[in-house]
Amino acid sequence: MKFLKKIDKTQRFLIVIIAVYCIVVASRNSAFLSLSTLFALIRSAAGTTILSMGVLMVMISGGIDVSFPAIAIFGGYTSLRVCMAQGITNMFLTFLISIAIGILLGFGNAILVNILKLEPFIITLSTASVYFGLMTILVGTKNVGATDLPPQFRTLSSLKLITTTNQYGGKIGLSVFIIPVVLCIVLTWFILRKTLIGKGIFAMGCNTEAARRAGFNVNLLRFFIYGYAGFLGGVMGIIYIAGTNSVNPVSLVGTEMSVIACVVIGGASPSGGYGTIFGTILGVILYYLFNQTLVYLGLSASWQDFFMGIVLLFSLITTSWQRRVQNRKNFIYTE
Amino acid sequence: MAGTNNIVVAEHICKSYVGVQALSDVSITIKEGEIKCLAGENGCGKSTFVKIIAGVENATSGTIRINGREMTKHSAKDAINEGIQVIFQDLSLFGAMSVAENIAMNKLVKEGKPLTNDREIKRIAKEALDLIGVDIPLDAQIQELSIANRQLIAICRALTLDAKLLFMDEPTTALTKNEVDRLLEIVLGLKARNIAIVFISHKLDEVMRIADSITVIRDGHKIGDFDAAEIDAAKLAYYMTGRQVDYQHYHRDDAAEASLLEVRNLTKKGNYEDISLNLRKGDILGLTGLLGAGRTELAFSIFGMNRPDSGEIFVEGKKVTINDPDDAIDLGIGLVPEERATQGLFLSKSVNENVAAAILKRLKGFMGNINSGKSRDLAKEAIGQFRIKVYDEDTVVSTLSGGNQQKALIARWAASKPKIFILDTPTVGIDIGSKAEIYEYIQKFAAEGMGIILISDEVEEIVANCNRVIVMFNGRKVKEYTEEEMLSPDIKEQINSLVESGKTAGKEEAS
Ligand SMILES: Nc1ncnc2c1ncn2[C@@H]1O[C@H](COP(=O)(O)OP(=O)(O)O)[C@@H](O)[C@H]1O
Ligand SMILES: [Mg+2]
Repeated sequence: MKFLKKIDKTQRFLIVIIAVYCIVVASRNSAFLSLSTLFALIRSAAGTTILSMGVLMVMISGGIDVSFPAIAIFGGYTSLRVCMAQGITNMFLTFLISIAIGILLGFGNAILVNILKLEPFIITLSTASVYFGLMTILVGTKNVGATDLPPQFRTLSSLKLITTTNQYGGKIGLSVFIIPVVLCIVLTWFILRKTLIGKGIFAMGCNTEAARRAGFNVNLLRFFIYGYAGFLGGVMGIIYIAGTNSVNPVSLVGTEMSVIACVVIGGASPSGGYGTIFGTILGVILYYLFNQTLVYLGLSASWQDFFMGIVLLFSLITTSWQRRVQNRKNFIYTE
Repeated sequence: MAGTNNIVVAEHICKSYVGVQALSDVSITIKEGEIKCLAGENGCGKSTFVKIIAGVENATSGTIRINGREMTKHSAKDAINEGIQVIFQDLSLFGAMSVAENIAMNKLVKEGKPLTNDREIKRIAKEALDLIGVDIPLDAQIQELSIANRQLIAICRALTLDAKLLFMDEPTTALTKNEVDRLLEIVLGLKARNIAIVFISHKLDEVMRIADSITVIRDGHKIGDFDAAEIDAAKLAYYMTGRQVDYQHYHRDDAAEASLLEVRNLTKKGNYEDISLNLRKGDILGLTGLLGAGRTELAFSIFGMNRPDSGEIFVEGKKVTINDPDDAIDLGIGLVPEERATQGLFLSKSVNENVAAAILKRLKGFMGNINSGKSRDLAKEAIGQFRIKVYDEDTVVSTLSGGNQQKALIARWAASKPKIFILDTPTVGIDIGSKAEIYEYIQKFAAEGMGIILISDEVEEIVANCNRVIVMFNGRKVKEYTEEEMLSPDIKEQINSLVESGKTAGKEEAS
């Protein structure tokens, strides 16, 4: 009960949708209700979950970032090529290279947003292109086959935390990906809810001028926010490469909108000032639930976009309708 | 008493925005433990001065010394570190954040501890709320609160820190008399602790009650510093406006007895009950009482925005049902609402578009397109006629001062030539100069045959403008003063004492 009170309307709405969907799918196909479905879901959603935390933070601050796939692939792919060239097999170092690149590119976004004072959307749209182009020039876009991956990537890819056997006797397991995912979620939650920086991020999203008047250095906060999004991009880049069998560095570009959609479905306000970690996670879960299980309903994966779009539209309609009712109560009439 | 140490010495401050010289050569000194009032008409530059000292805006030229140190282009943070706290006119709150977070924010930033603690935040907020004796849920979001409660939150926030100097930029416009009294008490308490306060308000009686000194600004120039004890309201008004301000009393000359608007036994549960009134051409009917007496709700019902449960409305003798504002406008009814910022004006649009909004139908051409040349001419005419201080008709309304916003709103309705015009507390937060002008328009409209309903808390305003008055309490009509009664020389005292008695009755009922 206490939990129900704490979660907001969007979250309740998403939980209901997810529950109803699961019941429908389970009634059509009993194979759905199994650990292997859950494990597959977690593994495939890992990258998006990490990225969504960055998008959430940027969006709460009143900005938007569409360059994170470019940053992720820049960091991850460069790290991969460096490791291959230098024979590096250390996992920590592999992540470090990718993360350092991610943070730097994030700072690049912050500098431009601070100096140009233009819509972050336009700025990160151009930096996405610039970053990806730069990577192409500096390290190329050669495909790397699974067998050519350095050992630490293969370990990351195959290491399981828990393993069981499914009903057909096949081995299934919970991917080690869950660890960085949980770490990133907890870290983001901690920053947003328990630190002064977090308060500043919410404050500037509500009212940038008022945040400045309260004494926050808004420009510095932007460095943190975009840098953090870059950091998460760096982490995700490695996970992404480990998670796919054959690395095609072009494939990640263009996925930004679906991540942003997850965050918006999760209830974050695109105009800033509001958003929750739990809602975002629910948004991602819903996305990957459609992604992974529409086959159980005999539908092709292309229905996923359609369903996500419907959910997004529906939540936008209810939000706008609720606002209108609230405004009418206060005698505010808008166009 | 005021000490001898100067906290702020500002000399020869100039500030220009594009197209506007907001301050020219203003020098002001603020001493420890003094209550200084900044007085002046809307748009004279008071808020600009506050922002410059608070480090939110930088002066174009001039020098500022704070606590003896010269500050050049200081930031908001610098000012906060020097012990300066501000209640900004726009409140500068965080709409989607909780009451507790909003109140504690400044203290958290000032202390700069990297980690925050929810229990600590709530404790800070609770303490501040207790200090001014109001009870607002700590978890509520600011955007759910009324303007009055938002003002209280902004006040609380400024009190969480031990400031040396506190700026209060029109913090009381939406507050009830009790809340204002409580606030003034607190201000005096702060003064006793040697904290300096700069207070800005258009309610001159408030100002006179607590101020030690008054600095008058007019059109960005400082007119002078005055000792509060040696200046009276009339003189102050003269310094502020540069002319003699006096209100004309209104008398109705129209002989026509036909009813323009009649309301019979109108009832809306929880809002108002069994209200009847009759408005003729040339009437200015006053509606007074207390905040929450149901007047605004009644006005909204007549304007089609708050459907009554029962009762009838007649316009020019014909029974009508008014379902939405469009119906009301078609019947020739106009409304200037209480909260002009959220309910009345399109703040982010230009003066031109705002003036045009009420008469879109008339501006529509043959194909339903808007005739922009015609709208522009109308807007220019309105700006001239109502002496709205703007750069040009494309100026965005939100950058105008309160008085000018209100004039733009009245201009907008005047362009649509309503037969029945309802004004809900039209002069709250507006300086005496603009106030006198607004009275002038209202009386002129009535003299030309409009029927006007004027909702107001200020008995003085009611007595000056209305030829008939209805007093409401808790949604009920308790007394109607006729035209003859309004002529009695002690009418102001009569209404005053009735309202006061209602206040005590209300309190007893509440407790
Ligand atoms: N950001 C701004 N841009 C342009 N003009 C402004 C801005 N802020 C204030 N002004 C103008 O400066 C003048 C002084 O405004 P202000 O200090 O707010 O007056 P007051 O507080 O005395 O009512 C007004 O003419 C106002 O329109
Ligand atoms: Mg002001």
